[in-house]
Amino acid sequence: MDYVIEMLNITKDFPGIRANDNVTLQVKKGEIHALLGENGAGKSTLMSILFGLYQPDSGVIKIKGQEVKITDPNVANEYKIGMVHQHFKLVHNFSVTENIILGLEPKKTFGRVDITYAAKKVQDLSNKYSLKVNPYDLIHDISVGMQQRVEILKMLYRDAEILIFDEPTAVLTPQEIDELMEIMRNFVNEGKSIIIITHKLKEIKKVADRCTVLRKGKYIDTVDVKNTSEEELARLMVGRDVIFKVDKAPFKPGKMVLEINNLKRTDKVNLSKSLDVEHLELREGEILGLAGIEGNGQTEFIQVLTGLKELESGEILFLGQDISNLSIREKSALGIAHIPEDRHKHGLILDFTLEDNIALQEYYKSPFSNNGILDRGYMKQYAKDIIKRFDVRSGKGELTLTRSMSGGNQQKAIVGREVARNPKLLIAVQPTRGLDVGAIEFIHSELIKARDEGRAVLLVSLELDELLNLSDQIAVMYEGKIVGSLSSEDADENKIGLLMSGGNNVGK
Amino acid sequence: MRKLFALFSVFVLFTVLTACGPKLDYDKGTFTGPYCDDLDVFADAKKAAIGMVTDSGTIDDKSFNQGTWEGIQCYNAKHTSAVKYLQPSGETKEDYINAIDNLVDAGYKMIVAPGFKFENAIFEAQTTHEDIKFIIIDGAPHSGNYVPDIKSNTVSVMFAEEQVGFLAGVAAALQTETGKVAFVGGMEIPAVQKFGWGYVAGVAYANDTYDLNVVVTDYLYQGTFTEVTAGQTIAAGMYDEGIDIIFAAAGGVGVGVINEAKTRTEAGEEVWVIGVDSDQYDAGKYGTAGKSVILTSAMKRVDLAAYNYSGALATNSFVGGKQVTYDIKNDGVGLPANNPNLAADTLTKVDTVVAAMKADTIVAPNTKEKLTTYLTSKGYVTPGTITY
Amino acid sequence: MENKHKSARERFIHYFSDESNRRKLAPYISILFGLLAGLILMLLIGQDPIKGYINILNGSIFKGLFEGNFRRLGGTLAIATVLTFTGLSVAFAFKTGLFNIGVGGQMLFGGFIVVLLGNVLTLPKPVHLLVIVLAAAIGGALWALVPGILKARYRISEVVTTIMMNYVAMWTVSYFVRRWIPGHYETESSMIKESASLKFELLTDLFSGSAINLSIILAGLVVVFIWYILEKTTFGYELKAVGFNPDASKYAGMKVNRNILYSMIISGAIAGLAGASYYAGYTNHVKLGVVPNFGFDGIAVALLGLNSPFGVVLSALLFGVLRTGGEYLNAMTSIPKELVDIIVGLIIYFAAATLLIQFMLTKLIKKMKKNDEKHIEEKVVE
Repeated sequence: MDYVIEMLNITKDFPGIRANDNVTLQVKKGEIHALLGENGAGKSTLMSILFGLYQPDSGVIKIKGQEVKITDPNVANEYKIGMVHQHFKLVHNFSVTENIILGLEPKKTFGRVDITYAAKKVQDLSNKYSLKVNPYDLIHDISVGMQQRVEILKMLYRDAEILIFDEPTAVLTPQEIDELMEIMRNFVNEGKSIIIITHKLKEIKKVADRCTVLRKGKYIDTVDVKNTSEEELARLMVGRDVIFKVDKAPFKPGKMVLEINNLKRTDKVNLSKSLDVEHLELREGEILGLAGIEGNGQTEFIQVLTGLKELESGEILFLGQDISNLSIREKSALGIAHIPEDRHKHGLILDFTLEDNIALQEYYKSPFSNNGILDRGYMKQYAKDIIKRFDVRSGKGELTLTRSMSGGNQQKAIVGREVARNPKLLIAVQPTRGLDVGAIEFIHSELIKARDEGRAVLLVSLELDELLNLSDQIAVMYEGKIVGSLSSEDADENKIGLLMSGGNNVGK
Repeated sequence: MRKLFALFSVFVLFTVLTACGPKLDYDKGTFTGPYCDDLDVFADAKKAAIGMVTDSGTIDDKSFNQGTWEGIQCYNAKHTSAVKYLQPSGETKEDYINAIDNLVDAGYKMIVAPGFKFENAIFEAQTTHEDIKFIIIDGAPHSGNYVPDIKSNTVSVMFAEEQVGFLAGVAAALQTETGKVAFVGGMEIPAVQKFGWGYVAGVAYANDTYDLNVVVTDYLYQGTFTEVTAGQTIAAGMYDEGIDIIFAAAGGVGVGVINEAKTRTEAGEEVWVIGVDSDQYDAGKYGTAGKSVILTSAMKRVDLAAYNYSGALATNSFVGGKQVTYDIKNDGVGLPANNPNLAADTLTKVDTVVAAMKADTIVAPNTKEKLTTYLTSKGYVTPGTITY
Repeated sequence: MENKHKSARERFIHYFSDESNRRKLAPYISILFGLLAGLILMLLIGQDPIKGYINILNGSIFKGLFEGNFRRLGGTLAIATVLTFTGLSVAFAFKTGLFNIGVGGQMLFGGFIVVLLGNVLTLPKPVHLLVIVLAAAIGGALWALVPGILKARYRISEVVTTIMMNYVAMWTVSYFVRRWIPGHYETESSMIKESASLKFELLTDLFSGSAINLSIILAGLVVVFIWYILEKTTFGYELKAVGFNPDASKYAGMKVNRNILYSMIISGAIAGLAGASYYAGYTNHVKLGVVPNFGFDGIAVALLGLNSPFGVVLSALLFGVLRTGGEYLNAMTSIPKELVDIIVGLIIYFAAATLLIQFMLTKLIKKMKKNDEKHIEEKVVE
């Protein structure tokens, strides 16, 4: 069998952790090879080694059967390996062409850059793979999906034969994802080979030929995707059976909890983040999912709702009371809990202990403190309870500095803190971002539990699966507006995807 | 473990206890500074151990500390001794006393303290350490009530700054082209004030005697001895007003004045500075021809005092309990022997004044009140904006 | 049985496997490194380092101690007291996310108020002392208020504003001292009345006439008080939260700006108390034209004390010993006093590089563990 790339028995240590432990990856010519694993499974480390960013502690890399040493990304380029990073590396006020030729500029006399020649070459490549990129557009004028294509063109321009995609679908709409997969298939038909790093099983099923699974730095298996079910892939990734569908009680909406009318806010820096929400409502016992592509005002909307940002005009009714002018603390005291989008920026004080972080929302009131004096005994006991109830794992229990905890456990601590307050309204913004399957399941079940107990839950997420799975109603936000609202029975990926990309209003 | 620690502690204490007992290094020093050649040799001098405490400045302040230390070093160069200076960690009485205690504990037999800031500290130390000799320059020990209380192991050395200030004033009045001269002081302390008062009196004297019409049109204290840039700015303003001679008794501020004068002289202007404390001729040199902007310097021989008392200690001829004044009569103050920038006529006239001072026929005013009286007697009219 | 008698090595590994233990130990290691570097320096300039360090200890504590003369110890404690206040002031601000480098100016202004009231008021000693101590705190707080407002309101960096306030303090104090309480010489104020002096006969006599004064007791109280505020009250909890993460504090409903202001005021008040300790306990009058360098020393003290109130006390004591001992060293040997400054500087340098030291410890522990594992494996194989 001819392998275009072989990474054999790769081991890589970082201080305190073995990121890759005897991992083997073999990619055939002309295949799409998925690299599957949870966060922290060692996928990125492995690809960084292939791309020359790290050196392995042991193991060999072979390209077309030849053993090679890839000391830096330039060497990787020479072996025709290209990579599209999860976070694009583009200069925003440069044109598409300028970004693509950066470092490889074709020269005319006196060292002038031959932009026309380069642009033509870019145009040809774009046409060949129907990427629909205009070589003269500026990066900051084009969509994220287009920016990704520029990254792809960068690789093509350098004649890459082995293309690595690191979580390429995270920033795309479902439609864009389909198009990307089409493009990938064109590449393999050309004889190129693709490695795609992902933790999304559906996409693997859709596009990949074979799949290598890593778990906790160790090599688990390489399987043929055709003969393997999603459930089987999940089991390989997590190491146990995974329940996909969550059980929830029938939808029994109660009183109106949250009603928003004509909420407006202008963002002077970025107009697409300006808000103009005509109407949105949420009842007891309901999970309202808020869908949308990243950067369409969801973050700002939640910040205005919770009080982190000021609103310009409009009405926010909470149990009938207008709370638009209340302070963050007043809102919180009324029974609004908030699992923030950025757990490091807003959710936790990383240099505080777990005990102090768990008290973050309620430290000022009895029984956490009396007359301004903290009741350390109570705080400790309360923290211990939360840790136990929400299975927060940490080195030294409630005395652990949260900085030293894993992302999943940090998030569990936040979820625990907010859910345990028995809020009437629970706002959860991307509560499972970057977490492993176990933690995701746990947080999903907590959200469902809150709903079943009759609380109102506002769930903002970029993951359509998550929204479709959990929500009773899904509203879609596009450029700061609610462009559509669907009940979970009516909603499917296509309809929502269309709304997310600003397509015609469905269901209105 | 605990036993080990106890053992260790005993060891440390033992070492600490036995390490006491000062051993001084009596080494003959070398000295290359000015003046030392002119100083007398003490015939029957024995080895001496002389300590010094510096005031706010460093040892190389081109002024007080440096002068004192040079005197001590000069002594050491001629008569093998043990010498040491300490710069206290702060500027309070406690800091000074700590420094003195440290020197005493180390075995130094005489402590020289240059500056009125040491008055309180010396007052206490002269009682605590009765067998140690103290020299305080420009001040007298007192308990806080400013009534001098000089014990038998202490000498207070004062200088007649007003006399040399007077000479500077005479020289300035005779040399000025524009008829306008100025005075820049550092901090408003007695020694600096006396320079200034003498200076104005000298100008008035020259006007009266040689029928001139020279005016001290600017007279100010910058407030520190350290702000070089401020000195430069002040000088620039004065020279712009048409003043051509500035007497700068101001430490680092004076350095700024000298810098400004150099810049202007190199640009073709003719402006001068009168230096202070030591002969600052070299500090005023500019260009390559070796010329200097220092017209002359109002010298105050702290080195002489430090040298003489070192010798007194070594020859057992120290007599304390008194205040001595270094003045024109014992060459404690004066203009330098060489004054390349003064006209021959000026030198002659200055020498006449020196002689008159030595004969007490001219008495330079050393208080503000005496100055006022003196100016009135000479018919000098103070410009309205100036206070002394 | 075996568990109880762990070897020293095992205990060492176990202790340092904990990150917070590594962090706690870093200052001691930096002190050790600093002293080692000083030792090497002394060897390089041909001096006896053991004699050098013994002289430092003698000069700051032991000389005369066994003959019943506690003067040197008292002087060291007096300096350490002032350093405790300034260190605590910096540390408190640090803890709450602010870098107050204007402690010198706040101390000077607090001290000026002390000297002013110590001059013009006539009160029985206990009342007078109470008044000046309170006034010192208020004076320091007032001086920190301006940078506090600028930071809280307009997000102007306190690093710039606090240090600029030092100069404002220096000249403001100069002006008002000359106007209201001029001393015998133009460069200083007049002395405070005996009733306003923190010197206490019993204490002074006990320490053979040294500068030690009542502010040492005040310092103890303030250290405990600040520790209590930071650790035990909701107020301290908020201040620390805002210091570590203003965004999360806002999220939790805290008033970020108000807390910044409070924090600055308290830091200034402690700096003002340093002024009381120094100007009413040590010098008894104000010198003009200088900002006390205790402010900057306070930064070093806080850094080495890991910004913890009790750490500050220890580190202030160390700095006191080095400061007073250095001069004695200079007097007794031909080792220049600057050597002590170098040692202090290096200690700070190493303290600032605590991360590096922690990293080195981490590596060491890992290596030791690995060795142990190998050892065990070998045994198993046998």
